[in-house]
Amino acid sequence: MPRPRALENIRVVDFSWVRAGPWATRWLGALGAEIIKIEWPENERGRLPSTTTPQHLEVNLNTSGNFNDTNVNKKSLSLNVRTSKGLEIVKRLIAISDIVIENFSSRVLQNWGLGYQELCKVKSDIVYVSMSGYGHTGRHHHYTTFGPVAQAASGLTYLSGLPDKPPAGWGWSYMDDTGGMYGAMCALTGLYYRNMTGQGQHIDLSQMVSGVPLNGPVLLDFTANGRGSRRAGYPPGNRAHWPGTPLVNNYRGPTVAPHNAYRTHPGEYNDWCVIVCHSDEEWQRLVQVMGAPSWAASAQFAAGVGRLQHQQELDEQIEAWSMTLGKYELTERCQAAGVRALPVQSAEDRVEHDPQLRHREMYLDMEHPALGRHKVQNAPFKLSETPAVNRLPSPLIGQHTQEIVEELLGYSHEELRVGFADGTFWPTKRARLPYMEEMLR
Amino acid sequence: MNDAQSLPGPLVGLRILELANETGQFCGKLLGDLGADVVKIEPPGGEPNRNVGPFLDDVPHPERSLSFWYYNTSKRGITLNLETADGRRLFRQLAAASDVILETFRPGSLASLGLDYESLRPQNPGLIMCALTPFGQTGPWRDYLSSDLLHMAAGGAMASSGYDEADVPNAPPIAPGGGNAWHTGGHFACMAIMAALVHRTVAGQGQYIDASIHEACALTTEAAVANYIYRGEVLRRQTGRHHAANPTPRTQFRAKDGTYVCALVAGRLTPKYIGELADLLDINGMAGDLRDFKYQDPAVIATNTSHIIDDLVANFIASLPAEEVYHAAQQRGFTWAAVRAPEQLLEDPHLHDRSFWKEVEHPELGRSFVYPGAPAIYNESPWQISRRAPLIGEHNTEIFCGELGLSRSELCVLAESRVI
Repeated sequence: MPRPRALENIRVVDFSWVRAGPWATRWLGALGAEIIKIEWPENERGRLPSTTTPQHLEVNLNTSGNFNDTNVNKKSLSLNVRTSKGLEIVKRLIAISDIVIENFSSRVLQNWGLGYQELCKVKSDIVYVSMSGYGHTGRHHHYTTFGPVAQAASGLTYLSGLPDKPPAGWGWSYMDDTGGMYGAMCALTGLYYRNMTGQGQHIDLSQMVSGVPLNGPVLLDFTANGRGSRRAGYPPGNRAHWPGTPLVNNYRGPTVAPHNAYRTHPGEYNDWCVIVCHSDEEWQRLVQVMGAPSWAASAQFAAGVGRLQHQQELDEQIEAWSMTLGKYELTERCQAAGVRALPVQSAEDRVEHDPQLRHREMYLDMEHPALGRHKVQNAPFKLSETPAVNRLPSPLIGQHTQEIVEELLGYSHEELRVGFADGTFWPTKRARLPYMEEMLR
Repeated sequence: MNDAQSLPGPLVGLRILELANETGQFCGKLLGDLGADVVKIEPPGGEPNRNVGPFLDDVPHPERSLSFWYYNTSKRGITLNLETADGRRLFRQLAAASDVILETFRPGSLASLGLDYESLRPQNPGLIMCALTPFGQTGPWRDYLSSDLLHMAAGGAMASSGYDEADVPNAPPIAPGGGNAWHTGGHFACMAIMAALVHRTVAGQGQYIDASIHEACALTTEAAVANYIYRGEVLRRQTGRHHAANPTPRTQFRAKDGTYVCALVAGRLTPKYIGELADLLDINGMAGDLRDFKYQDPAVIATNTSHIIDDLVANFIASLPAEEVYHAAQQRGFTWAAVRAPEQLLEDPHLHDRSFWKEVEHPELGRSFVYPGAPAIYNESPWQISRRAPLIGEHNTEIFCGELGLSRSELCVLAESRVI
């Protein structure tokens, strides 16, 4: 018997594109909601441009690997919402749905005639989550973001780097991933509130604004102590403190040394380990793991403040040792002795070499009609009664148009044919894909 | 819009017990700011992470940790020693009347105290219990020690973040700061708890959740995993921009005031865009040759990409303060931003328009402090901080006497024997 799903019988009308919005609905889908992705090939963003299409396949709307991983557990309805007929159809869908979610700029849905007031007329208790760059409220609501822009404007980029160097920032759209998390949390809290009270609502989420609370202690150090983060020694790279600068907490936990990344054998691009000692006791354990070298017995390293003051020499000595070991072997030796150490892991490392992720079944194969069989990322939590599982590969564009239009919305097969002919379900000038011809038989 | 500020949050009526250290307190804050009654249970004397700085006025004290303050808003606080039989008895009473327990003990710890989910569930079938731990409850790394930096390494953040060789030769991978491993674990755990709560509104049953911070971090590097799975690529680190299989043009430029601007230009260079870019650069008379007719030809644009980005855009940004570039660009439809230090956000009028900042009273100090508020505006049930972090054992009387019916004298005895 199939396991029950947490969001059984919940239907989501998903206008979202690119990454942040689709990452939110991906998880709602894994939790059991029916996600209906509204797409239109003429202004699609997320399937194309693709830099993750396997080398042996043609780049087209159905072959982006990253789109696949970002859009599992969804169905696709291709629909031109910018026509009155398309709008009518989507309203019929909204009328039997629970959540509407989108991540367009702030006035797009309203301009389509699908603002919150209108949505309420169609479905009185709708939960509407808008995930725009700057939100629907506030003087800069029309500003736009990508992940890196939201990270820069919210203060997150600045927190990453070495002192006196340009910000290193985040090497990916952290706020697309994290923005997706907030989108899912907003949808779920809105849904919970609706189930308890019968009342829907509009939740006005902003990608840029949601980055700001992630700087909480930095901001409190400023509002309470008047200390800004533009100061000597900040950000301190991977260290907890940069030697020779004022000794101030760097908002990542206790101020300790060692606390750094160290090269490991054989010294290739991702051959690094991080090691952290939170106490003198942990430091002494590391000394034992290193074989109790004579340098480590020096009085300057015996206590925390001394290790912070002499961090440069400390780090050089540790690295001379770490270079003799592979990063996984070093990790195992340290952790077996109660020392905090883990390898820097590339994506390949995580998928192929990480024994913990393998044990937890983080990456499981799934068949996709255009991409073939590939690993897909799983949920980082295990719910005992309603596990989050990937049930569907990402949809081909428009793959479920017939199912949704005829079976769910009750239009006739003839109406589906007419809709394809008049450009409601697919642009008239664009060649239909084989599975669409199949639908129209 | 209603006067939403006076309404309760979406999780009103929920009682959540939090047994969380630095790894899980953010998840508790999310739930508390969203309206749940989060009761933080600390060991007598308080959680060790009350000793993490920075401290108010740089005076170290367990009631003055700004980190603790921030991550424990909207919670009440009690102390309870679960190593004692009385402590466990009181905990069971609390658990029987709670909706969610969030715990971050090492795997097996609660079971050894007889307080695991299987032991608590019989008296409360609707109970949801979420264990949020570095690696989850099973697997070869289950008992490994961790820290924020360790998760940034193993989760993949560091492999993606760092510097161009030209900017910092031989640079190490860089772990972005701010404690984001804990944030990422908290986001996923919050999502899982919410899903279980929604399920419970329909099914009536609770459940157990085993959440892993390592897995949450490993999921949070955008397309890095897809690049590997579908193309076998390992990505290189680049200054202030995306990891990439092959080097991409820079997107971070130094402004006149010495701070930086994030300007995404490459990949967008069409003749139309060139015209708009010329208008933008012209606000400071820096359009150079951009209005030349030759740029109507995409092939000419392609061969001049480096000139456009590294000369014209870079020089334009270098001629103005970063904030000025940011607003001028965004007003013209460019998706650019100033790379701001967090404290600059206090002056952002957009955040004030959204009533983002929250003045939080600390009555014991006779002062109030400005806290960052919520990511989203709910029009019916606001997401907002309801109170400052609890003092150590602040709500012991309120909860042990007021709710569990202990007498004042019993409370005194429990304090003397270090149960509370």
